[in-house]
Amino acid sequence: MEYMLSILIFFPAFAAVLGLLVNKELIKSYGIIVTAIEFILSCIMWYNFDNTDASMQFAEFVPLISQYGISYNLGIDGITLFLVIMTTFITMISLIGLSETKDVKNLILSVLFLEVAMIGVFVTLDVILFYVFWEFSLVPMLYIVGAWGGKRRIYASIKFFLYTFTGSLIMLVGMLYLGYLHFQSTGVWSFDLIQWYNTQLTYSVQLWLFIAFFLGFAIKVPMVPFHTWLPYAHGQAPTIGSVILAAILLKMGTYGFIRFSLPLFPDATVALLIPVAILALIAIVYTAMVAYAQEDIKQVIAYSSVSHMGVIILGIFALNVEGIGGSIFLMISHGIVSGALFMLVGVIYDRKHTKIMSEFGGLAKVMPMFAVIFAIMLMASVGLPLTIGFVGEFLSLLGFFAVSPILTAIAGLTIILGAIYMLVLYKKTFFGPITHESNLQLKDLNSKEYFALIPMVFLVVYLGIHPKPILQPADASVKQLIEVMKTKSIKAETKEFLISVNTTGEKK
Amino acid sequence: MITPISIDMETLNLASLTPMLIAIFGALLILCVDLFTKYKSKFIHVGIAVSILLLDLAFLIDYSGPVRGFFDVMLMDGISILGQVIIIIASIFFIILPLTNQKFHEFSYPEYFALFLFMTAGFQFMIASDNLILIFVGLETASLSLYIMIAMHNRDKASEAAIKYFTMGALAAAFFAFASMIFYYLTGSIELNVMQEHLNKTNFENYTLILVGVVFMIAALGFKLSLVPFHLWAPDVYEGSSAILAGYIAVVPKMAALIVSLRFFEIFVLANDIWVHWILYIIAVITMTLPNLIALVQTDIKRMLAYSSISHAGFVLVAIMIGSTQAIEALFLYWILFLAVILGAFAMLWIHKTKEKPEYYGLKSDYDLNKFTGLVDKSPLSAFMFGIIIIALAGIPPFSVFWGKMYLVGATINSGEIVLAIIMVLNSAIAAFYYLKIIVHIFLKKRQDERVIQYKNMTNRILTFVIACAVIFTMSSIVLIEPLLNIISSAVKSSGF
Repeated sequence: MEYMLSILIFFPAFAAVLGLLVNKELIKSYGIIVTAIEFILSCIMWYNFDNTDASMQFAEFVPLISQYGISYNLGIDGITLFLVIMTTFITMISLIGLSETKDVKNLILSVLFLEVAMIGVFVTLDVILFYVFWEFSLVPMLYIVGAWGGKRRIYASIKFFLYTFTGSLIMLVGMLYLGYLHFQSTGVWSFDLIQWYNTQLTYSVQLWLFIAFFLGFAIKVPMVPFHTWLPYAHGQAPTIGSVILAAILLKMGTYGFIRFSLPLFPDATVALLIPVAILALIAIVYTAMVAYAQEDIKQVIAYSSVSHMGVIILGIFALNVEGIGGSIFLMISHGIVSGALFMLVGVIYDRKHTKIMSEFGGLAKVMPMFAVIFAIMLMASVGLPLTIGFVGEFLSLLGFFAVSPILTAIAGLTIILGAIYMLVLYKKTFFGPITHESNLQLKDLNSKEYFALIPMVFLVVYLGIHPKPILQPADASVKQLIEVMKTKSIKAETKEFLISVNTTGEKK
Repeated sequence: MITPISIDMETLNLASLTPMLIAIFGALLILCVDLFTKYKSKFIHVGIAVSILLLDLAFLIDYSGPVRGFFDVMLMDGISILGQVIIIIASIFFIILPLTNQKFHEFSYPEYFALFLFMTAGFQFMIASDNLILIFVGLETASLSLYIMIAMHNRDKASEAAIKYFTMGALAAAFFAFASMIFYYLTGSIELNVMQEHLNKTNFENYTLILVGVVFMIAALGFKLSLVPFHLWAPDVYEGSSAILAGYIAVVPKMAALIVSLRFFEIFVLANDIWVHWILYIIAVITMTLPNLIALVQTDIKRMLAYSSISHAGFVLVAIMIGSTQAIEALFLYWILFLAVILGAFAMLWIHKTKEKPEYYGLKSDYDLNKFTGLVDKSPLSAFMFGIIIIALAGIPPFSVFWGKMYLVGATINSGEIVLAIIMVLNSAIAAFYYLKIIVHIFLKKRQDERVIQYKNMTNRILTFVIACAVIFTMSSIVLIEPLLNIISSAVKSSGF
């Protein structure tokens, strides 16, 4: 088990290189087998994961550039465990549901490289290595969106690339500067994140660095006003690109907030909490309204993603166990739900080659099973109790209630607005008379699509009723994270604030 | 009566001259071989040249004599040897590239390879001295050979490029001579270390004149380094010369000029001269920004790479401006990594020559962006390699140039120049756009024109080997940084930086 994380990172990479030799007809089965093995490996890791241990597990450490303190440093805790498992799961599912036929070999190899980058981001504890994986993930995604996308795919892919690239370069400056500060205070070059947790920073430095990291993460999440690349990327990307983008790539940003911004700059986090929360609120309300105005089904889901990511940010910046734990849960659930929704849109796009709502209507009659699964995912997206969406949203909002009841009340609109645009979408697409003759011939789900969607439906219901498997491992790690914030903060107000928001369930 | 000069052979330290002498001897050997053999083939010339360069390299790596030699004009310190090693390795790879299956005009002359070796020797002299006269001689030897080699490429724009390069180069030479003259007047010496001592002792007396000298020197070196505003020759010369020489110009002369600049500007950086600091600062910022913006609108890959290499030169100028140990290390690291990528990029352009005239396929030139449209469908492997190289040039991790960039930006931050660091990374973001344009053409666009582009059959095992070397180096650089940095840092520290 010692090299579990390295195996997880490099297995898809080797498989992708070997995949060059695989026949075109067999490549899809090859891809599914590789990602399935990867998923099983991640489950084995979960089995061996110790829930009670809050520190980094499966740690590996090999110095890479010792002069500058850069090392190959891996580890996993309760925060990242499920992000990794979700990554392997969604990658597998998206390949199972793949319907693309053009240049499918290149596509599958890109997805495997993308998986390498995504897992790498979640398991590295060396800041520079994190950056390496973070940036590298852009390259396969650029190719996937740009080569298999819709009409304006090249514009969309370049916009996606440049936007995120610029943001993360600013973050790189922040990282290097922080490394320098660490060197100044300790005399040793190190980009080990866990060691950085011990360096105290002055308030003004924290503010600047918070902003530098914020740019990198906020563009990725994306937060308003940096969200404009997302609808394009989603609108133009092929189904598999949208699924991976929404389910996993966006989570890299929110993960960055939890792993970097919060524990490294606690005072700046508390000081800038309200502005960030307001940005998140704008995202929640404004993009929900924009989603309502869309005519393209995919765009509705794309904007709803932005809206839900706002709730995740809000949960993270609640700075308590409920909020952060809830936001981690919401990351997982949003990954599964939005992935499934994009896949469902892909199903209908494959049959009809359009995603415009007005082209449909009455689909429930011709495609009953499709309508049922869509309805379940839609309910989960809206946050109906007993589905996976409810738990995370509720906990995030509950967490933020300790910070500001008023803002939480506004954020609660997400459930109402979400219900409005999603139900309207459902009504327009699935109910009413069939207006287009050609829609009568549409076939219901085929076995391949069942294979991809049924596990998701199962997870949506199961984790909705019994969220403990995810919440429990996260709990210990989040508690430790808040401890780090408390000890690292230099201002008394920050400490008081952290204590005051972490009282839910204690006052009886 | 003149006292007889008696020189001890020991003090001459001829070993310090040996590497250059080997190169010059090799050049003459090629010419002689040509005289006495009827059998003329570029393979024999390349073979001789490569073995001579390998011998040269062996003597360099083996060199363990004193730092000074030959009446104190030779300077074989750490960076001198490191710089020469870089130049020789680059030369070996670039001199192999003519070995294609096709016949080309310029490579049928043995003089081409002789000139190549003369040029290498010239650059070696330039690096291995701190005597302004010897630097000048080395610079001119190398440059004149280079002008001729460019002109030997019998294409439309070759003579234009050669003449442009020559006239501008002559002007730069004049500036160099003028700057040397002023410093000789001021300090009574043309040796950089004596100059430094004298200037520090007199506390930079007669400052205005010193600045005039510095300005001339910046103009002279700026020409070789293609710093804005002395860069105007670069795009035309790149466009006019063959892909091999264009790639060579992009790295090797700049390596030599960088080391001379390093030795020269060190005097002022160590003395904390504000004026020189700011002038270098401004030139660096403009040099990395302006060509980046111009490159955005280029449709010819060679011109685009010309502008991009100007911008890269601006990046490393920052290292000279900062002058800290880490910055100097970053400079060498950056340039070694950059060298491999440029080698790959221009070799890629070199092997993709069209079968017919480019106009036949509706292309403006042989290096038109549209030539590579849809390359991934035609030959996935070369598209993949080209893609890796371009992505590395854009500075996307984990490929090579990223590490140089990161180390350099790190050095910039460590010396407190945060604003400059941000300007540098923003430039990387701008540059990413035009590199992506190449990626878009190779991978994302489909060729609409029905005239399918046919390439000449250029590749053989040797060329594949060169490109594979470049690509493997680029891809595996993450594990190579540590050993490279160890070599660089021991060289840099032993030279007192």
